[in-house]
Amino acid sequence: MLYEFSYLAPRSVADLVQALDEHKDDGKFLAGGTDLLPNIRNGLMRPRFVIDGKKVPGADALNGGATEGLSMGPAVSINDLLRSPFVREQYPVLCVCAHELASHQIRNRATVAGNVVNASPCSDMAPALLCLGATALLRSAGGERELAFKDFFTGVKKTALKPGEYLERIVIPAASKGARGSYKKLKRIAGHDLGIVGVLMVRLGDSLRFAVSSAAPTPVLVESVTAKDSPEEAVAKVLAAVSPISDVRGTKEYREHMIGVYVRRLLAEVK
Amino acid sequence: MKDYAGPIELSLRINGETRRVQARPGDSLLRLLRERLGLTGTKCGCENGDCGACTVLVDGAPIKSCMALAVECEGSDILTIEGLRGHPVQKAFAVENGFQCGFCTPGMILNAVALLSAHPEEDEEADREWMQSNICRCTGYEGIRLALASARRSLKD
Repeated sequence: MLYEFSYLAPRSVADLVQALDEHKDDGKFLAGGTDLLPNIRNGLMRPRFVIDGKKVPGADALNGGATEGLSMGPAVSINDLLRSPFVREQYPVLCVCAHELASHQIRNRATVAGNVVNASPCSDMAPALLCLGATALLRSAGGERELAFKDFFTGVKKTALKPGEYLERIVIPAASKGARGSYKKLKRIAGHDLGIVGVLMVRLGDSLRFAVSSAAPTPVLVESVTAKDSPEEAVAKVLAAVSPISDVRGTKEYREHMIGVYVRRLLAEVK
Repeated sequence: MKDYAGPIELSLRINGETRRVQARPGDSLLRLLRERLGLTGTKCGCENGDCGACTVLVDGAPIKSCMALAVECEGSDILTIEGLRGHPVQKAFAVENGFQCGFCTPGMILNAVALLSAHPEEDEEADREWMQSNICRCTGYEGIRLALASARRSLKD
């Protein structure tokens, strides 16, 4: 027994937004549960209502086609993404990051939406969504709104989601199709571990983008690096955008040093 | 909308059998299996999603049962170690010394069963990736690796 709460399993979007609206203060949205359930068990969260968003028809939909981009519901798991031939072919950057997230079994349950809504600075999917210019479709009883992911993260484990609102879809623009990239994640062990620092580099046509995890209160997108910059200039621009701290997993100096190492390696690797 | 407050009666399909069981919404699948159904083959290790001792298959996919609510699994097919009898993977673990203390073994075996059905052909990368979900503190993993290879051979024959 984790903790005494009620479980709600809405079967329609209308019921879901109503439940979230009624339980703005004492409810929690359940997707994969790989963060929420350990948090409840460890006493870090004590919701009175757990609202399962996976039973709404279409929640696990992962749609993409020749002309559109990609759209994902809140129940799309990390492994759903990795198994999708469309994603592997058109948005390989998503797979590069998804592959670094936790372990295979966790990826069967953990969702892309949950990974970003959780808004941990060490989120592995956030760098990919930031670099690909993804948008969040947020819904509440009051209606729906769209928000770019670069405006979504507001602090450590904090997002622009208002009480009663949920992430209904993640949309990745068709313009980002074919973007290539690589993600370097520094961990203590080769297997399942949280990152000490992570750097994603994405190249789309002539434009370069970097995103850094575990180096600031939120995952950070860096768009200022250009193809003409020397590796030293690129490192300086990325470092100027982050503000790592020293904690149990590593010092500020170590993180900064490794960001430099990774930026240089990525520039040489992602052609 | 289904609202499960207080104690609830769940109907779960476990090892091919439909089981009706009293549970609370906060019961993890792991706790329900062990404490309400007496299926103690599924082990409770870290209860934090790290060790994999509690691995079961839900609709064929290996998951950590400490990180799923029992109530979420209504309508799904659940396979625990009690549902395997003399499976080639079990035999291979015994023959190749794929375990010592045995605590991680039910989780290892269920994960391996799912792995071999998804990757019937030799695939060292998939083996490593899948089996990273389960931790063994005795064997050094060599016996487990050998057991996987031997089970794969016998499943093909």
